[in-house]
Amino acid sequence: MMDILTTLLLFLLKSFVVDGEVITPVPGVDLPESSSTTAPQASIVVAIFDDTIMMDGEVVARVSKASASGDLLISPLARRLDDAREKATEIARLRGGGEEFRGKVSIQGDREIYFAILQRVMYTCSASGYEEISLAVIGKS
Amino acid sequence: MRTSTRRGYRDIVADDIELMPLMNLFVAMIPMLLISAVFLNVTVIDMKAPPEAADAGADQKDNIALAITIKDDYYVVEGRGVEKRVITRANADAQEQLADALAGVVAEHPDNQDIMIISEQDTQYGDIVAVMDISRDSGLPAVSLLGAN
Repeated sequence: MMDILTTLLLFLLKSFVVDGEVITPVPGVDLPESSSTTAPQASIVVAIFDDTIMMDGEVVARVSKASASGDLLISPLARRLDDAREKATEIARLRGGGEEFRGKVSIQGDREIYFAILQRVMYTCSASGYEEISLAVIGKS
Repeated sequence: MRTSTRRGYRDIVADDIELMPLMNLFVAMIPMLLISAVFLNVTVIDMKAPPEAADAGADQKDNIALAITIKDDYYVVEGRGVEKRVITRANADAQEQLADALAGVVAEHPDNQDIMIISEQDTQYGDIVAVMDISRDSGLPAVSLLGAN
């Protein structure tokens, strides 16, 4: 019994020893597998799955509506990203740092979403000043 | 007197080690760690902004504008000074053929690390990531995504 518990405890403690930021997939998102080994960094998370576009855990837009639009910009998502940028800039100002805003966003897309919606989300992020875009994937072990 | 002292030592040594406090600690820690443990190895692919048409002028000579177009049934590999290759996706070894084609381009143009992946509006994200993997593994890590007109 003690042996089992000790082994389990060591295994669990080892799973905490990771590089970079630990991000967990948003429930409902089936991330594609990739050979990429780049560790994630702290960033805003935009998740796309089924008919939902979420930002930091809140539903902000619908895939069907955004895909049907001829415009690449998804307005509700752009508004949320602008709000987040203003908050980050304000916090940086209060801290007294004169750093330029470097928007980082991580897109968690379900493997079955279409490029049409991915393109719109990436365009919206870029238009809102989030130039550093990364795609979250499951690393092949 | 001497006999009773010896028995006393024997009693102390013969006692089992008290494991209950350790067990309690383990039982408390394991559920806590299980809840917060990360079993999936989430990594990221950093994206590169697609080249602007206006930027193309300056280094157009060096830029081979290598691109893979993902169509429903086939991949097209093409670029400036690169022999056009069409690879049928239905083939079992389509991904190996694509990797070979890209490896050939990398051998011919070792300075180039850029590649554009051009997708249809209904191309699935999983297929795009698979092509990105092949590009990166073939020595073309600077991937940018574009939509087909």
